[in-house]
Amino acid sequence: MRRFEPQIQGWLLLLPAAVLLVAFTHYPAVATVWHSFFSTARGGRAAQFIGLDNYRDMMDDPVFWQALRNNAVFALGTIPVSIALALLMALWVNGRILGRGMLRLAFFTPTVLPMIAVANIWLFFYTPGYGLIDQLGSLFGLPEHNWLGNRDTVLGCLIVVTVWKEAGFFMIFYLAALQQISPVLGEAAAVEGAGRWYFFRRVTFPLLMPTTLFVLVNAVINSFRLVDHVVAMTKGGPDNASALLLYYIYDVGFRFWDTGYAAALTVVLLVILAVLALGQFLILERRVHYQ
Amino acid sequence: MRILKTLGAAGCGAALLVASAVSARAVELSFYYPVAVGGPITKIIDSMVADFEKADPGITIKAIYSGTYQETITKALTALKSGEPPHVAVILSTDMFTLIDEDAILPFDELATGPEGKKWLNAFYPAFMANSRTGGKTWGIPFQRSTVVQYWNKEAFKEAGLDPEKPPKTWDEMVAFGKKLTKRDANGHVTQWGLQIPTSGFPYWLFQALATENGAILMNEAGTEVHFDDPKVIGALQFLVDLSKKDGIMPAGITEWGTTPEDFFQRKIAMMWTTTGNLTNVKAKAPFPFGVAQLPAHARPGSPTGGGNFYIFKKTTPEQRQAALKFVEFMTSPERAAEWGIKTGYVAVRPDAWETPAMKEYVASFPAAAVARDQLASAVAEFSTHENQRVTKALNDGLQAALTGTKTPAQAMKDAQREADRILRPYRH
Amino acid sequence: MSAVAVEEVTKQWGETRAVDGVSFTAAAGSLVVLLGPSGCGKSTTLRLIAGLEAASAGRIRIAGRDVTHLPPARRGIAMVFQSYALFPHLTVAENILFGLRVRKVPAAERRRRLAKVAGLLGLERLLERKPAQLSGGQQQRVALGRAIIAEAPVCLMDEPLSNLDAQLRHEMRREIRALQQKLGMTMLYVTHDQSEAMSMADQVILLRGGRIEQDAAPAALYDRPATAFAARFIGTPPMNILRSADAGVLLGIRPEDIVLAERGDVAARIGAIEYLGADSTVTCMLGGETVLARVQGRVGLPAGAAVRLSWPRERVHLFDAATGRRLDDTMSPPPAAAQELGERVAAAAGG
Repeated sequence: MRRFEPQIQGWLLLLPAAVLLVAFTHYPAVATVWHSFFSTARGGRAAQFIGLDNYRDMMDDPVFWQALRNNAVFALGTIPVSIALALLMALWVNGRILGRGMLRLAFFTPTVLPMIAVANIWLFFYTPGYGLIDQLGSLFGLPEHNWLGNRDTVLGCLIVVTVWKEAGFFMIFYLAALQQISPVLGEAAAVEGAGRWYFFRRVTFPLLMPTTLFVLVNAVINSFRLVDHVVAMTKGGPDNASALLLYYIYDVGFRFWDTGYAAALTVVLLVILAVLALGQFLILERRVHYQ
Repeated sequence: MRILKTLGAAGCGAALLVASAVSARAVELSFYYPVAVGGPITKIIDSMVADFEKADPGITIKAIYSGTYQETITKALTALKSGEPPHVAVILSTDMFTLIDEDAILPFDELATGPEGKKWLNAFYPAFMANSRTGGKTWGIPFQRSTVVQYWNKEAFKEAGLDPEKPPKTWDEMVAFGKKLTKRDANGHVTQWGLQIPTSGFPYWLFQALATENGAILMNEAGTEVHFDDPKVIGALQFLVDLSKKDGIMPAGITEWGTTPEDFFQRKIAMMWTTTGNLTNVKAKAPFPFGVAQLPAHARPGSPTGGGNFYIFKKTTPEQRQAALKFVEFMTSPERAAEWGIKTGYVAVRPDAWETPAMKEYVASFPAAAVARDQLASAVAEFSTHENQRVTKALNDGLQAALTGTKTPAQAMKDAQREADRILRPYRH
Repeated sequence: MSAVAVEEVTKQWGETRAVDGVSFTAAAGSLVVLLGPSGCGKSTTLRLIAGLEAASAGRIRIAGRDVTHLPPARRGIAMVFQSYALFPHLTVAENILFGLRVRKVPAAERRRRLAKVAGLLGLERLLERKPAQLSGGQQQRVALGRAIIAEAPVCLMDEPLSNLDAQLRHEMRREIRALQQKLGMTMLYVTHDQSEAMSMADQVILLRGGRIEQDAAPAALYDRPATAFAARFIGTPPMNILRSADAGVLLGIRPEDIVLAERGDVAARIGAIEYLGADSTVTCMLGGETVLARVQGRVGLPAGAAVRLSWPRERVHLFDAATGRRLDDTMSPPPAAAQELGERVAAAAGG
């Protein structure tokens, strides 16, 4: 009996966290997979087991493919740029420059704002004719441009907004990591004759790898997770040109009330995220030096 | 001292008695309402609710602002699925089929019985009731209803050498006027467009006006058939696309519904199509004299109706249903319909509202207010089917694809038709 | 030609002068220790020579070349930092080779030099390890390796042993000195530890408040401290400095020069005895003053016992009370001071 006591105590201590995790993470995920094999219940008709029909429908659903393509473009557009920008800003405000407190604040501000507020600010920037961008453009004699109303530019516009919002957030992590790097390393490298770029490439950047991995995982998740700006700015339009996967799931689940199909779409999203996260950890982990 | 205490205790007891008596009688109703146009809508709703509670102290209304139309139905259906739907709500008239399919609402015929009830159900404009009835039952009561009208800037007309009192009456006139109204600077950049028919979000609504004017009917009354690939529909879309592509009188691409009035105030556009619900807003903000007119005709005049109806939800007790009916009757009474119309610009939903002194006085001072009412004669039911959101999305996507040039109008409508058929097939028994 | 010449160098931050007009030279192949308490400006001086700080005034020459305005890499120096400054993500080999890679030294040459340095420092079996997998002493060797592989004529060391335990510090002291002599490097070595300075240096530069207190060989520093401060900084326990009746003069006598005897010049009373094994430190009360004496072995007297102290006359140091500067240039004290000693004896006997 005595022998088991510490074990029981351990499990009891674990219980609250485990219950929450199961109730709010694992159960919903499993339930989603389960629901994806059923048709949607409507009014009188109950949900029926239909096997892989939802997934088969998905293969034939052009909007799904469009959303998937959009999301890939969105991810490729936001992730590298926001990370590079974050690193650049962090390096800049980490240096000894005049007014760096103000600069840090300025870079971080977009992060503090809710996405909806950010989207509304940018909605004004993008307004054709009298929006900020067109007004600036008109100073140089550029014609007005319907940024959000054009299939070719709408996704790019969303990418810019997202980068603007995310870079400041990631900068904070880089800044914290940079402050952990001893300035003596820089002096040692200077004595050895390493230039700034060489030092960055061979020392700073490798030492920031844990942060980069963390930021990268976050950026990837965010690129599939952020839809507020889509809701506020474009509603996925024109003609699904700015529909992202999660926004489409919202559409199917809460506008069309096709919960079965929405569950199947969610499963696909979960699988994509799981594969990406796993890939990042497996491939990059080996190249990351943790202190 | 002791006497005082006794008295106090007795007083408390009496107060408790009164309170419990009231709570036994009092019915509390939750009421979701959306805001879709500019102006202090929540304040107006709150004051009307307060008036109702004063008139009927037994009923308390918990009025809940629930966002846009879209957010309102999402909230209502989510609440329904979690077991606590609102008792009453204002939701798009076109969501009727969705609400029926979800088994969410009650037909009014079961509540408003007897000759009094019949009379009340027949008091509204038939054009509005077209979106309230299906299968012989009345599911919604018109409340914040509208039609599409055209607004024009009289100053711009004068500058362009047009008669500021004469809006275009036909498509041809509209194009001709538009060409005169479109101004370009030295570089050839447009500084003022002739016309804007906004196409973001829900382009199907304004497009339905064009389709109707071109002689097309978009769907059947049962909400199970659509006619997107009808040549008349394709023709209407071609016309819309050509307004920017060929005639060059409208901005290209997708134009934003929400900022269209602002574009109008900024003199960026000389004519705009938008809901009559914006009337009060435009009246307050336009920095120049403006006119309001029925839409120009082609094969025929026409506009869809639009806006929200009252619905009573099924998950209610008999007392709550009766209380909800009383509330809806109050909100749509001639005096209230007139008040609501004057304060917002929505069309007062019943003919007798226009006979009230307040409305008569308003129309006399502001004749534009009657334009939408007069247009009701040629108005048609707003596009609405089973799985309305999904079918509407198919149409919207097709329209935007044509407007952004990714598909020809014919191809876009054929694709939309195929998608709608796929969605609606299960409903065709 | 000296390997390093520092001429009237000053470093100023606002009003504070961390280094204040410092001049010295270091002969080629010598080990020069910059010694002093914390905040004396010794590390700053080293960083000025390295080029990690810019001098506010003055000139620095290395191998005859004016390097005052050159970046560190072009001064012909190598440096070992107090915290070693190893790159944590690189292996030992990569750390050592860092500078050679920067300078694009050919691979064959790199291999040859790495093998030599690793052999010299006993790092052969650690080359593939990361710094975190090494002990403090091993890290120190890697830092040393990185400094000597550059084969720079001058090597700067900033308190290189202060993070090691006493035992290791002792070993490394000897090793570094041996290495320096073997390779014939000129080494500038910063420390606050006088025993490191005395045991390793050819030349010690004692700093205080940004100025040079004394620049001399270790023996001269001990035997003829130039100031009262230098006198007290070198030697354990520090030299006794006594006020004299002649207000202008301070008397100095090292504890190890005092003899406890039956018969002596001065009567005193034992305050406390600290037994250290090979010797003992005896605190003696002499009138109102305390004098430390260092005597061989154990002292067989209790606290409170009366003793007499004596010391060789020629071991007495005299300093100017106002400036702290050494007064005598001869080995014997001036007459006034001798008389003073007599007076003290009388006073002690009376009390």
